[in-house]
Amino acid sequence: MFGYVTPYKSELKVREYDIFKAYYCGLCKTLGKEFNTLVRLGLNYDLTFLALLLSSIEESRETITREGCIVNPIKKKPIVNTNRSLVYTSNISIVLIYYKLLDDWKDDKSVKSLVCTIPFIMPLKKANNVYNKKVTVIKEFLTKLAELEKSKCSRVDEAADTFGKLMEAISVPDYIEDSRTERVLRWIGYNLGRWIYILDAFNDLEEDIKNKNYNPIILQYGYNKNESIDSFKSRVIAPIEFSLTMSLEAIAKSCELLDIRKNRSIIENIVYMGTRYKMESILNKRECRKNEKSI
Amino acid sequence: MKNPYEVLEIKEGASEEEIKAAYKRLVRKYHPDQYVNNPLSDLAEEKLKEINEAYDFLMKNKGNYNRSQGSNNSNNQQYNSNSSNIYTQVRMNIERGNINQADEILESITNRGAEWNYLKGIICLRRGWYDMAYQYLQVAVNLEPYNSEYRTAWSNLASRAQAYRNVGTSRGYRNDTSLCEVCQCLICSDCLCECLGGDLISCL
Repeated sequence: MFGYVTPYKSELKVREYDIFKAYYCGLCKTLGKEFNTLVRLGLNYDLTFLALLLSSIEESRETITREGCIVNPIKKKPIVNTNRSLVYTSNISIVLIYYKLLDDWKDDKSVKSLVCTIPFIMPLKKANNVYNKKVTVIKEFLTKLAELEKSKCSRVDEAADTFGKLMEAISVPDYIEDSRTERVLRWIGYNLGRWIYILDAFNDLEEDIKNKNYNPIILQYGYNKNESIDSFKSRVIAPIEFSLTMSLEAIAKSCELLDIRKNRSIIENIVYMGTRYKMESILNKRECRKNEKSI
Repeated sequence: MKNPYEVLEIKEGASEEEIKAAYKRLVRKYHPDQYVNNPLSDLAEEKLKEINEAYDFLMKNKGNYNRSQGSNNSNNQQYNSNSSNIYTQVRMNIERGNINQADEILESITNRGAEWNYLKGIICLRRGWYDMAYQYLQVAVNLEPYNSEYRTAWSNLASRAQAYRNVGTSRGYRNDTSLCEVCQCLICSDCLCECLGGDLISCL
């Protein structure tokens, strides 16, 4: 996972920012409590958003306490106490990170990744006991994703579909009973996964062209060896931005249909502005860097 | 029935003006145009119904029944009267949400004209494959530029992307990093010039 789903800070109230941070720290603490301290290093923003979203539809209020933390034990920070959405997302984090690391080991023979999986082995067993169905689904889609890469799928939409479906599956914990809510969460998850996948593919363009790695954008738009990466990027940017914006639109419109009981303003900030900001800065990264150099 | 004030997201005892403003805002938000070919469109319709009921209730109780139209043009799916049987089948499957089946039927057709591309585009939309959806709809529009059904679906995409951006912009979203950098660059250049005894921008 990639950490693309963050709030747009400059339009966030200080209190809202504190709550978002409290969820981030809450997820971290829950990882520590449920599993071990080392796995807390795998914490990321995308799953923080999922925890925030899943908590927002709960009837009970979140309880926030001020606690110190390993990184800074003296300064006390607001932290959301462990609740069922945090427990769920922490378990999902474990599974995703474990397989990501394993994947890195298989692909690049990165020994570092293999060593990093060690603290995840026991937690994975634990997660597998409780969330067996989800773990099976995640494994299934990750295998599919690897097959897709092998078969060199040349349609961005199709390649992104698998990761979308993975995120779709993990966006709905089993305890959600209302079928309306389930449908909305699934559609948010699907579009979020798709958005993350395509944005990440764009972000990796330079590296993938250099290393001749699989990247559906390169295949769909036919990168030609004689053109510069910049000119290729400027050629593909418009259709990709459109497709990504439509995904964000679908997420935003789905959130409007969700019975959100708290923290609506933070969620709307993320889906209408934070994700858009992230997307626009990644798509236009090249130009930014040029400007910096000219100063 | 839910509390109508809650549905309209206003305080109890809000004035008529406030009720009307909230109603208008919400109708715009959940308008069927905003959910065309979205798999959740039925949920948006339900929501709109709730809003209409709440509004009617509040207006009736004030003895002032006056409701602006906004929701009733949702089910105006027009079928091409001369469309062949097989496309009707595809459309029916799409409407029922059997997207895979609709796609299967469509893939079995070898003669692929404007309607084929249009329906393929709609299927892509329902799946969330926006890049391909846009391409297929564009082909349909190019093949039959005067078909309003195809054109509406195609332009609806662009207007929805814009509607999404407008919400962010109205809430203060600015992505003017480049503008900032230009200013920074100018100020820095000015400072440098001043250090050397000259001046780039006299007022700074």
